[in-house]
Amino acid sequence: MENGYLNTEAGPLKINAAGEVSTKKARARKKAGLNKDAVMTVLYPVLFGILVLVLWQTQVLHKILGTDTFTLPLPGRIINIIFENVPAILKNVQATVIVAVGGLLLGSVLGYFLGIVAMAFPKWGSGGISIASAFTAVPIVAIAPILNNLTKDLSDDPHIRSMLAKTLVVMITCTVSMSINAYRGFTELKPFSLDLMKSYAASKTTIFLKLRVPNSLPYIFTALRVSVPASIISALVSEYFAEFIIGVGRQIRESIVLAQYATAWAYILVACAIGILMYAILLIAEGVILKGRRHR
Amino acid sequence: MLRAKKMNVDYSKDLGSDTEELKTGIIIENLSVRFPDKNGGDPVEALQNINLEIKPGEFVSLVGPSGCGKTTLLRTIADLQQPTTGTISIGGLTPREIRLQQKFGIVFQNPVLYEWRTVRRNVCMPMEIMGIPKPERTRRVTQMLELVGLYNFGKMHPHELSGGMQQRVGIARALALRPKILLMDEPFSALDEFTKEKLHLDLQRIWSKTKKTIIFVTHSIQEAVFLSDKVVVLSPHPGRISAVVDINLPRPRGLEIKDTMEFNSLVSKVRNSFEGV
Ligand SMILES: Nc1ncnc2c1ncn2[C@@H]1O[C@H](COP(=O)(O)OP(=O)(O)OP(=O)(O)O)[C@@H](O)[C@H]1O
Ligand SMILES: [Mg+2]
Repeated sequence: MENGYLNTEAGPLKINAAGEVSTKKARARKKAGLNKDAVMTVLYPVLFGILVLVLWQTQVLHKILGTDTFTLPLPGRIINIIFENVPAILKNVQATVIVAVGGLLLGSVLGYFLGIVAMAFPKWGSGGISIASAFTAVPIVAIAPILNNLTKDLSDDPHIRSMLAKTLVVMITCTVSMSINAYRGFTELKPFSLDLMKSYAASKTTIFLKLRVPNSLPYIFTALRVSVPASIISALVSEYFAEFIIGVGRQIRESIVLAQYATAWAYILVACAIGILMYAILLIAEGVILKGRRHR
Repeated sequence: MLRAKKMNVDYSKDLGSDTEELKTGIIIENLSVRFPDKNGGDPVEALQNINLEIKPGEFVSLVGPSGCGKTTLLRTIADLQQPTTGTISIGGLTPREIRLQQKFGIVFQNPVLYEWRTVRRNVCMPMEIMGIPKPERTRRVTQMLELVGLYNFGKMHPHELSGGMQQRVGIARALALRPKILLMDEPFSALDEFTKEKLHLDLQRIWSKTKKTIIFVTHSIQEAVFLSDKVVVLSPHPGRISAVVDINLPRPRGLEIKDTMEFNSLVSKVRNSFEGV
């Protein structure tokens, strides 16, 4: 028996060595493939963007669209305006980002919590989530003025009042998508993973912390991929209706009203930059936190 | 080479042998499990009138064609599936009580690994739940990964492993717990012949040192005869026991036993008791 044991011992070792070599190769291949894909997905849009910019600056774009440099100012002029007004722009960016990020965080935390509640009471939980998903159809434009009215008495300071109203609008838009996705993340478990926990007599809390929460992480990012852009859009739109005049969205509107199209474009550019930046941060966080998981 | 030396260390005093009285005999009486048909047709008789006695520390294999209820029987013993009629008693207790005492170790038919955990942390997971101290957990994880030949893959994630490697992680995870009752559902089915034979010997060694009760589901009659004290043959539709074959081959068994007359006549005996395949 001792002999047989020793003889077979060598078997898995060989397999190990071979296995290791092949997985290293596979990894290298995967990395190279990913890089090539990533380069392509970035390169094409960037090239297209540069092309549009060139056409724009050389006024070819104006001829195509049949417009003039007053309504559609040249990129160089827009950039100039941004550099000349850094302090004012920063003040407005700050107001918008606080509303967007604040509402995003509040809404996502509340949504995640609602997902937990729905999971804990499965009887009406899934029904409740279906009803909640109907709320996604409610347009921001409709709720923003209503919330402005509702928050009238919350503070004597119109600045704070407006901030609250705007944050609430953003919060509502973010709550719904997070609660739906969190609920799915808690309940859409791989087959038998719950049985595995049961076989160890794991408590509900343990199952929640060791199985449901980690299982929900990719779903959180699914929700955030929707709600990060949505939070910025609803922040910009809710500024339109706010009592206190501040924020990137509001400045776009004010500038258009005053026919200062170049300034309006400057703020539009800034709004785009905020959106791209927040989305980039999200993607980086997702890459770090979901590292090691199979790509969905 | 170094690793090979390390693997030969005798872990026998380490594998969780017990001084306490093991009350892990299993008595199954008139057990039936029916699954209602969702489309309103006749219910599926996964198991019908099963009577089986498994002694404490016995190594029992379940063989039978696909769909004959092997997994269902294992799940019912583990309290993951409720019987429609009949009872199961494990050392005088119900499966539920044994489950709550955390005495089961299960290797599922498809390895149920948590994709967000590395191989090491997957093996570690049940020990975390049972509150085994960290240094001990680390020691056992290393030991079990060496046993299944995956020591160098501890930092990888499940999706980076082959199916057979994933299955070995599941085996390491179940063994690391040192369960009193080990339920294994086709644990070696995705493995190559080399690895399989090594693990057969390892499993036999662990079993004889620790005297745990093992119920082992397999499609391979050879594997069942080699490992078991008793081979239970199941037949499908409805799932029932068609034969129980005692394997009285001497222990410990080496691979050379497979060439003996006795071994092969037992294999034939089990094969001949298959019904309606
Ligand atoms: N959850 C379930 N719901 C309905 N029917 C089920 C369920 N689980 C098993 N069955 C049925 O019970 C019977 C036995 O299934 P089981 O999985 O126990 O077979 P098995 O012997 O393990 O097969 P295999 O060798 O293919 O794994 C099958 O007919 C199957 O369709
Ligand atoms: Mg099965």
